[in-house]
Parts: sequence; structure tokens; C-alpha cells
Amino acid sequence: MAGRRGRALLALCGTLVACAWLLGVEAQEPGTPAAGMRRRRRLLQEDGISFEYHRYPELREALVSVWLQCTAISRIYTVGRSFEGRELLVIELSDNPGVHEPGEPEFKYIGNMHGNEAVGRELLIFLAQYLCNEYQKGNETIVNLIHSTRIHIMPSLNPDGFEKAASQPGELKDWFVGRSNAQGIDLNRNFPDLDRIVYVNEKEGGPNNHLLKNLKKIVDQNTKLAPETKAVIHWIMDIPFVLSANLHGGDVVANYPYDETRSGSAHEYSSCPDDVIFQSLARAYSSFNPAMSDPNRPPCRKNDDDSSFVDGTTNGGAWYSVPGGMQDFNYLSSNCFEITVELSCEKFPPEETLKSFWEDNKNALISYLEQIHRGVKGFVRDLQGNPIANATISVEGIDHDITSAKDGDYWRLLVPGNYKLTASAPGYLAITKKVAVPYSPAVGVDFELESFSERKEEEKEELMEWWKMMSETLNF
Amino acid sequence: MGLLWTGTWILVLVLYNTTIQAFPKPGGSQDKSVHNRELSAERPLNEQIAEAEADKIKKTYLPENNAGESNYSFADNLNLLKAITEKQKIEKEKQSIRSSPNDNKLNMEDVDSTKNRRLIDDYDSTKSGLDHKFQDDPDGLHQLDGTPLTAEDIVQKIATRIYEENDRGVFDKIVSKLLNLGLITESQAHTLEDEVAEVLQKLISKEANNYEEEPNKPTSRTESQAGKIPEKVIPVATIQDGFTNGENDETVSNTLTLTNGLERRTKTYSEDNFEELQYFPNFYALLKSIDSEKEAKEKETLITIMKTLIDFVKMMVKYGTISPEEGVAYLENLDEMIALQTKNKLEKNATDNKSKLLPAPSEKSHEETDSTKEEAAKMEKEYGTLKDSTKDDNSKPGGKMEEQEEKTEAYLEAIRKNIEWLKKHDKKENKEDYDLSKMRDFITQQADAYVEKGILNKEEADAIKRIYSSL
Repeated sequence: MAGRRGRALLALCGTLVACAWLLGVEAQEPGTPAAGMRRRRRLLQEDGISFEYHRYPELREALVSVWLQCTAISRIYTVGRSFEGRELLVIELSDNPGVHEPGEPEFKYIGNMHGNEAVGRELLIFLAQYLCNEYQKGNETIVNLIHSTRIHIMPSLNPDGFEKAASQPGELKDWFVGRSNAQGIDLNRNFPDLDRIVYVNEKEGGPNNHLLKNLKKIVDQNTKLAPETKAVIHWIMDIPFVLSANLHGGDVVANYPYDETRSGSAHEYSSCPDDVIFQSLARAYSSFNPAMSDPNRPPCRKNDDDSSFVDGTTNGGAWYSVPGGMQDFNYLSSNCFEITVELSCEKFPPEETLKSFWEDNKNALISYLEQIHRGVKGFVRDLQGNPIANATISVEGIDHDITSAKDGDYWRLLVPGNYKLTASAPGYLAITKKVAVPYSPAVGVDFELESFSERKEEEKEELMEWWKMMSETLNF
Repeated sequence: MGLLWTGTWILVLVLYNTTIQAFPKPGGSQDKSVHNRELSAERPLNEQIAEAEADKIKKTYLPENNAGESNYSFADNLNLLKAITEKQKIEKEKQSIRSSPNDNKLNMEDVDSTKNRRLIDDYDSTKSGLDHKFQDDPDGLHQLDGTPLTAEDIVQKIATRIYEENDRGVFDKIVSKLLNLGLITESQAHTLEDEVAEVLQKLISKEANNYEEEPNKPTSRTESQAGKIPEKVIPVATIQDGFTNGENDETVSNTLTLTNGLERRTKTYSEDNFEELQYFPNFYALLKSIDSEKEAKEKETLITIMKTLIDFVKMMVKYGTISPEEGVAYLENLDEMIALQTKNKLEKNATDNKSKLLPAPSEKSHEETDSTKEEAAKMEKEYGTLKDSTKDDNSKPGGKMEEQEEKTEAYLEAIRKNIEWLKKHDKKENKEDYDLSKMRDFITQQADAYVEKGILNKEEADAIKRIYSSL
């Protein structure tokens, strides 16, 4: 009809001039608004959080905007480049960005490791903006979190895959397109398989932590590792992460180690030494996500087997066996405890649903962040007060040790209970302390270790003392 | 300059399109069949009554009687005709209703008071003129002095109505209904059309002559004429076969008149430079600052752009696409936007007032501010694009510029929030007054570091540095 054509023309002109002019004007037909403008800020709401999918340029700009708004507490950096050259961007939020303050635990969120699992990516962008906004508004919880934690947010570990997935036409994105990186590597099967090694060590004896030996050979010279995988491994080795979560899509559950079954079967509950705390951590996420913790939620697909799901959580192996995953790699190569959170039945849901995903996950994301302040933490120093790095802290009854970081600081996540902690280091005498651990906050326990040489000196001195005393008594 | 022409033509065409909403495509073929009929000299009273009734449709009528289409009684026919023309008029009525009561309310003075009032007067006066005609003559069958209407009077009335309503479709609908109902024969309809067309032509040429005699009339008058004339030209042109060549020539001359009008319009821009623009203090200041000869061209282009912008906003208000308040708010924000951009460009240090102006709008609803700011930004970049093409020295596609502007806008917003928070934060902790220069250095350093690492690209870093240096 001419009327509609005429109006569309006017709308087009109006669009050229002021497309987002008035949200309420009905005269604007969805004729042909410029794609760039339509993509952006159409859903701009709430303090700069735009609930729409961010391609790589928009992702970068969103993070830059957060940084510009919160320069005092944020910093953007990159851990490396994807295969196609996109920066693996991370935004860090802390009261002293760029600096590890001794005693301040490090946290990370990683999203979109499978490029077509898009919700995590977007949620992390929203989270960064949200944390910045809330901090500036004086939200106590957030302010305390940022002052006491160093939060690293990597919205996308696989930007190449995302671009591929997002470029697919139509509303329904494929289950597989964009999952792997540009080389076709599934990043969550690409990490060195340390589960195998720990299972052997369990049987035959051997270390229960930090199993990645010879970083150079196994990582840097390994042609089978994707650049994204390598970048993350270096990142994990560089920063003493304590707690982490890896965001995925395709189901709705919080998954914890071990992912790979001991016997190699398809489904088997494969508990790790820290099964108890991991269950608690996973619940801390799922219980704040209404869909995840809903006991009556039907499975995502009719024939899905969600028998292993309990309260929105599941052991990895019990659900299905995953070798070479990032989650277990964290636990077995470093001090970092990581869970895998599946956020959505649909891997790449329609843009209009993003806002409700945010609402469902906002509190869960914050709650999980707060879990880092649990258990026991402190410093391991020598008698002169110098920090002892790489000291081992073991907990009686838990066959998994952690180590102290460069400043001698350590953080040991534990559920409430009574524990005996032992700190030891080569050349030093171990010390054991008893600790009563509440739910939260973390209990501070410091260790001053005496080195062997010092003890020898002491003993020598004692001996001399005794000899002097003897000689005086006996009149030598 | 060429693009400005095109732009103006597009505006004009847009106007045409909006107003001829009911311009019926199938009407073209209908016209053909109508032309085969003949209209005798004397027509039955029913017809005269019917046409006259159809003419004076009141604003408050609703098209409730569509269902009566199968009914053939006289009263129903009248209602039918009313209803049909009503449908077409309702939209335009709405627009005029929307714009006329509100126009006087607001601070249009701030923007462009004299011009806008004239626009309203134009629009309203024709309407009120029509009302006056029919006020004492509810059924339209008599002249003011009580004598019954002749056929000529009716034709005159129809023509006037079409002219003032800018809607040729009115006539088509009436005629087709009359034909369908058998009130007139085809030949009668054809003759009627011819007669109406003739009267219409006379009306147009009379107007055109008036128009040519008044070169000093302000641009709003020009614009409303320019807006109306092409609409007349085109419907007149489609009343096809019956036209003589003379009439076609008139069409051409009307086009020429239009052209002259446009030329005159652009000329008036440079002539009465600052009259309209006094309502834009920042823009005015900017113009004043461009004094050098080499920038004179730029100055002119800026003025033209600004005027076109204002006219476009007025048009949008007139046609009800936006409300006058929105138009005013938009233009006010545009002015502020210009101020900001000016400062960035000329690298002056803003006064405290200026930097406070930016946070001030946030006290209003956030949404409103954002949308108006975005409008301003988009207007800016739209005309930035125009400006560039007229200068013929920019190869950047318009789309990319839009995105850049949007991005800078977002960054600006973020920076503003940051500064606000920092100031508040420092006050709370009783630190010394916030040290902007230190911040600036830090940001510059960080921006450069980010460029090296590939986190920012060079343009973004420059934009950020520029924004900080202008605070």
C-alpha cells in the first residue's frame, strides 16, 4: 500500500537522521535501518549494559567502556592471540589493578571456550559492566569483593569460533558450527590429560598436585596444542589463581571434577580428593540460579540422561567422561579449583533471551565469586619473616596439596570443620597446626618455618651451652 | 552541494509520500474507466448534495459506517462518502491536531519561534479558512448568502478541498463511489474530473504567482509552499488524457517554480545567516570563530546543514512523526553537542559550566538523555557525511563514521561517569581536589600501552586522549 511505503520512506529518513530517537514512536516501521545501528544499543538499558550479542569489535569496545568508566579499579590485558589473531581479552577488576597484593586471592571466569556456546560470553560482559556500576554506586558486597579479590574476566577463549557461530544465518544456530577453534580443535579436549597421571599416582604412589612437569616440552613445543590452549596454560602458570569457573552451554548444571572416569567407562562418578568442597562450590552457583536448582526442571532434550544431577550440580565423570578438559587441568596442574557451569539448554539462544539469562545468573555469578573467601589462608615465611614460595600446605585427610605463591601467600578452600594443616618446604622443618574452619570468611593461619641449617645452628649452640655448663661444673 | 539538492529532493519526496498516503495505485486504472464516461451539464440534485456532503468532513467523524457498504439508501450513501474521505483524512487530522495544540504551548521560542509560528499559521489558516466556509452551512448546499450551490460552485469546492487537503485521492474515492452507486454516469464523472482539474490548476497557478511575488517571505513559508506544490504537480499530471498541452506546460512551469523556490531557499540561508541561528548560541559562536577566508566555504556549508537540520525537524513535527517537545529537546541537545565537538576540535579548555552541563542532563531520565544525545550524535554524523560529500574529499563510508561516532559517544559517557565518581570519591575521603592532569597523564599512558598490545586501536586511543584533554 502506498501509505505504508510512504511511511517506510519517512522512517528510513528518520532513521538516517535519528534512528534511536524515540522508543515509543510507532511510526518507525522495521524497514531497512542501518545494520550497524540496529545491532548496537537498540536494547540499551540499565547503566550501559546492552543486552545483545557482542561480536569481537563490540566485545572489545564493551570492555574498553568498562575500563574507561572504572579506571581506578580495572585493567584490560590480553593473554595471547587466537589462531586467527584475535586478542584473548581479559578485564581485571581489583582495587589495585595490575598488581598482586600479597594475601589477595585471584579469581577467574572464562567463557565461550566453545564458540557456539554464547551465553557465557555475554554474561561475562554484562558482569564486568555490572561490577563497575555497582562499585561506583557503593554496593557494599561488590565494593568488598573488589577490594579483597582480584577478579579476572575473560569473556571469550574462542573468539574465532564465536564469529563462525554468530555468522550463521537465521535464528537457529547449529549445535556444532563454531564449537572448536579456527583449526577445528575442541579446546576442552585439548589440555594435557593429567587425570590419567593422577589415577596412576593414586594406585602406585606419586604426587597429587602440580603434575605438569616440563612446561617447555609439553606445552611450548607441543604442536598439538592450540594457541588458545597454550595461552591459557601460561596464564594459569603465571597467576596464582585460587578459584575459577568455565562457562558453557547446551545444558543447565554446575559440573565439578573429575571429568574423566577412572575406569574409562562412559559414566562413572569420579570423585576427586576435594569432592566435598567442590560440591559445596557447585551448589553455591546453582542454588542462586532458579532454573539450575529447580528439581522439577525437565531435561533440556527429551532423551537426556540427567540422573547424575543433584541440586543443579553433577560430578563430571558421572555425567559423561571428558578427557583433556580445562577444568581438571586447573586442579591438577595448579592450585586453582575450577568448575564447569552449563548455562543454557540452547547453545546460542535468541538475543531477546539474554536479559533473562542475566537476571537468572547475576546472583549466582556473584555468589560464586564470594566462595573464594572460604577455608584457610595465610602466609608461609621463614623465621626472618621472608616469604617462602612454593611451600606445600597439606590437609590431613585430603589427598591434594596446594602450594604457596611468590609472596608466601596461600589459600586453601575447605568446608566447615576441624582440620590439621601442615606447611612444609624443602630445607625447612614442617609445622602442623590445628584449625577450626567456619563457613566463611577464611581463617587466617600463618606459618614460620625453620630451615634445617638454622636448626643445626641451634643444636650446635645448645651443645655448646651444655658443654660450657658441664665444664664449669666439672671445672675443666 | 549536489548531495544537498538530492537531500532536499528526498525530503520533498518524503513529504509527498507521507501526505499522499491514500494515493491509490489501482486508482490509475480506475481513472481510465472513469474517463470513458460523460458528464452532462445538469446533474441531479442528489449528486450535488452527495458531493457537497462528502466535502465537508468534520474532524470528529469516525469511519463507523463501513459496514453499510451494501446499503443503498441515500443517507447511507452520504455517510459512506463521509466515512471514505474520513479514513484518508483521519491520519492527517491527527497530525495537524498533534502539532497545532502543542506548538503554541512549548518553548518553540528557544529554537525558532518566529519561523515555527508561521508554519503553524500556514497550516492552521487554511484549515480554519475551510471551516469558516462551512460553518453556517452544515449541509453544504447553500452559499453564504443563501442561494443554492450550482454545479460550478460544487466543482470549485471540490477543487479547493483537494488543493488544501493535498489529497487527490479524495476526489477519486468520491467519484468511484458515485459511479458504483449509479448516481452519475461515467461521462459525467469524466467531465467532473476535468472541471475539477481545471479549477485546481487555476488555484495552483494563483498560488504560484503569489509565491513568486513574495521573494522575501521567510523560509518556512517557502518550505510549506515547496512542500505543497510538487504534490499538486504530480496529481495534476496524472489526470491524464483530458489535459491540453497548455496544462502540461503549466505543470512544467510549476516544477520550475518549485526549483526557483528551492534555490531561493538555499540563497536565503546564506543571506539571513544569523537570524534563525541566534537560538543556537554555541553554533553561532562556532560560526563566529570561523573567520578566516579559507574556512568561509566550510562556514557556509555548516550554516546550510544547520538550516536543513532545523527544517527537517520542523517537518517531522509538522507531520507528527515526533512531538514538538521532542523536536525542541533534540535541537537543544544538538546545540550542546556542537559545543562539545567544537571544544574538542579547537582544544580549548572548557569552563566548569560546560563540564557541568554534561552531567546535568543525567538528572533527567537517563533514557531521555541517552536518546537525545544519540540523536544529536547521529544528526551530527549524518550531516557530517553530507558535508564530506559536498566537499568531495572524504572517502569514508557513512556507515563506518556512524559506528565511530557511536563508539566515541559510549566512551564519552563512560569517561564522564568515571570523572563523576572520582570527584565524589575524593570528596568523601577528604583528599585534595581531584587532580585532572594526573589522570590525563595516566590515561594517555594507558591508552598508548593498550594500543601497543592491540587492545585499543589508534583512533580510539586518540579519541580518548582528546576527550580527556578537553575536560
